[in-house]
Amino acid sequence: MTIIATYNIKGGVGKTSTAVNLAFLAAQSNYKTLIWDLDPQGASSYYFRIKPKVKGGSKALIAGDRDLDGLIKATDFENLDLLPADFSFRNLDLVLDERKKPTQRLKKLLAPLSEEYDYIFLDCPPNISLLSEAIFEASDLLLSPIIPTTLSLRTLEQLKKHIKDNKLKNIQLLPFFSMADRRKKMHREIIESLAEQHPDILQSIIPYASDIERMGLERQPLGSYINKSRSVEAYQSLWQELLAF
Amino acid sequence: MTENTNYFEIPANLTIKKFISKLSKQVDLQIISQQYTIKTFYDSFDWRLYSANMLCEHKHSQKNSELRLVNNKTGQLLSSMETEQVPDFSQLFTDESFRQLLSPELQMRALLPLCHLSYEAYLINILNKDQKTILRLQVDEYELLNNRLQLLPLKGYEKAHQKIAQLLQDKFNLLPSASCTVLNEALKHQGRKPQDYSSKLSIKLKPEMRADKASQLIYKHLLHAIHINEAGTIDDTDSEFLHDFRVAVRRTRAGLSQIKNTLPAEIVAKYASFFAWLGQITGPTRDLDVYLLSYPNYKEVLPESLQDDIAPLYDFLMQKQQQAHNELAEKLKSPEYTKQLLEWETYLKQSLPKKGSTTEANQTIQELADLRIWKVYQRVLKEGGAIEAGSPPEALHDLRKTCKKLRYLMEFFQDLYPAQDIKRAIKSLKGFQAILGDFQDYEIQELSIKQFSEEMMANLVASNTLLAMGVLVQYLDVMKCKARNHFSEQFTLFVEAENKAMFTQLFKHKA
Repeated sequence: MTIIATYNIKGGVGKTSTAVNLAFLAAQSNYKTLIWDLDPQGASSYYFRIKPKVKGGSKALIAGDRDLDGLIKATDFENLDLLPADFSFRNLDLVLDERKKPTQRLKKLLAPLSEEYDYIFLDCPPNISLLSEAIFEASDLLLSPIIPTTLSLRTLEQLKKHIKDNKLKNIQLLPFFSMADRRKKMHREIIESLAEQHPDILQSIIPYASDIERMGLERQPLGSYINKSRSVEAYQSLWQELLAF
Repeated sequence: MTENTNYFEIPANLTIKKFISKLSKQVDLQIISQQYTIKTFYDSFDWRLYSANMLCEHKHSQKNSELRLVNNKTGQLLSSMETEQVPDFSQLFTDESFRQLLSPELQMRALLPLCHLSYEAYLINILNKDQKTILRLQVDEYELLNNRLQLLPLKGYEKAHQKIAQLLQDKFNLLPSASCTVLNEALKHQGRKPQDYSSKLSIKLKPEMRADKASQLIYKHLLHAIHINEAGTIDDTDSEFLHDFRVAVRRTRAGLSQIKNTLPAEIVAKYASFFAWLGQITGPTRDLDVYLLSYPNYKEVLPESLQDDIAPLYDFLMQKQQQAHNELAEKLKSPEYTKQLLEWETYLKQSLPKKGSTTEANQTIQELADLRIWKVYQRVLKEGGAIEAGSPPEALHDLRKTCKKLRYLMEFFQDLYPAQDIKRAIKSLKGFQAILGDFQDYEIQELSIKQFSEEMMANLVASNTLLAMGVLVQYLDVMKCKARNHFSEQFTLFVEAENKAMFTQLFKHKA
């Protein structure tokens, strides 16, 4: 089982669409896949038309009162399940803080699912908190979308420093460009200069595209309503890159 | 209603069109696909998958061809794969999970088509108000059988599953089906039923039955086994057709010699020689089948450095087996064989005279069974007791043959004795027979491999192959000696007081 977190300190960078579309591609390749919507806004639950509701809320979930497996919902796609968000997830930090070894908690909760799933995608809320620490502990890959802007680059530096300072050796940070608009000169320049400075940035670039934005209207992953487009190909290329890790 | 109410039979008067239209008035649904499908069930000739609660079905439609392995009791999918062609043997599957599931059950048996069914398959989604699928329905519209409906529950939507299952019972008067498959119904159309063939004997006899009538029944049973395995033997579908064919022949021979004087002497003489001939012409192919089946073991016992060198032996055995099998097939297609077997069949169909031709024929089968089993059991004790450390191999071979006769008699007549007791008696004999069988098999294999190496030398085979075969002969010899050394231990077990008392209690007092 490989756990992939889509994470960025900043919001609105394409974390959810990345998690949803990659999970969809993994499932299509016959991998048993789960996506865990950890964001109280419940965007990935929404994309799959699943009610953002968890019985007992964040408290029962973190306490382990409820078997994680019993909270999982099948999506409309074969091999792809979702653990929905809940509005109470806005308090996850506080709930975690009440536990012993809070940063180990998610890892422990996910362990029983290792037999059932090949890939678990964690769709994370934007911030650096106790929850993100727990996510870093639980994940194998930290997939971080970055919009090619100066500000986004600063947050990438912050994240790298955080990983280094906290000696998080078991996690691999995989930044990639997201919402890249080739028409914008600044985007093009940043992409070019950064590719040289940061060879760890993945090759695939997810474009800023209207078909990705349409996911909110269609309420389904991109690949299920569009067969071929630049965006579909970009996600496929990103998935292929991820398979190498 | 239980939670796993997943299968329903749709009555003949409710067409699928009507059903879907009626259902759409109750729930929001979406027909995802409708396709003409042909389903073929597969199993070995002796129902090994069915006996292991497995169903193997191949679904072929214009869009795809899928092979599925399903738990026969629960309907749970064990494995599935896309394939146009179904491999004949488990080891030919490229999909590992199929190989792992099938190999322990099928072993050397071929996977054969049992029956075909054609139907229109509908896949329907039931949606909630967010247009999210909460349950899937698979509706199969058959040409020959009643239509079937299967609920395919989705994780996390158990309530929807229960609600729809209840609706189907309350509003559509559908009854949950006990079985997850239509196999039984499909077989019924062919006049068959599951597990209608087994190599094990199960002959219904009544103790007071006249001995000649009972023996006629036994021979009819064995003749049926010969007939049913004939085509697979001629086609060489798998090695076990010939094996079961030979066992039926051997049992018939044992019957003719051991169920004494129930048939006229001239009949016994005529058919004893016919079945002896059948035993003889089938021998070489069976021996080669055994070597080929043992080949993986031959390879395994060699040092790793020689394991690849033994490969030419496999090719040699294959070639020889094909040659022997061709000769056998010719003989089994010959008028001589067909005529004699037909005459035997005609003879067995004749009604018996009001009074049997001999004293033995007029006995009850119970009297005759007690007498014969007890006598042959005594012979086993005598022959076994006479074997010492220095006795020649022939003594063990003779004892093995006597044991076989005893075993066949006990199996013919098992219906006449309390089931548990006769089972125990047969089991004790089986354990003892195994060691005699091993001794004989290793000896014959040792001799044959030696002989093959001479033949292969003439074909300029590589020296390492001969070396590997030499190591193999050494191994077979060690195993033979091991079996020989275990003989007295096994015989002591067989003649222990408790066993003796069991045989005495079952057969002697009546005899």
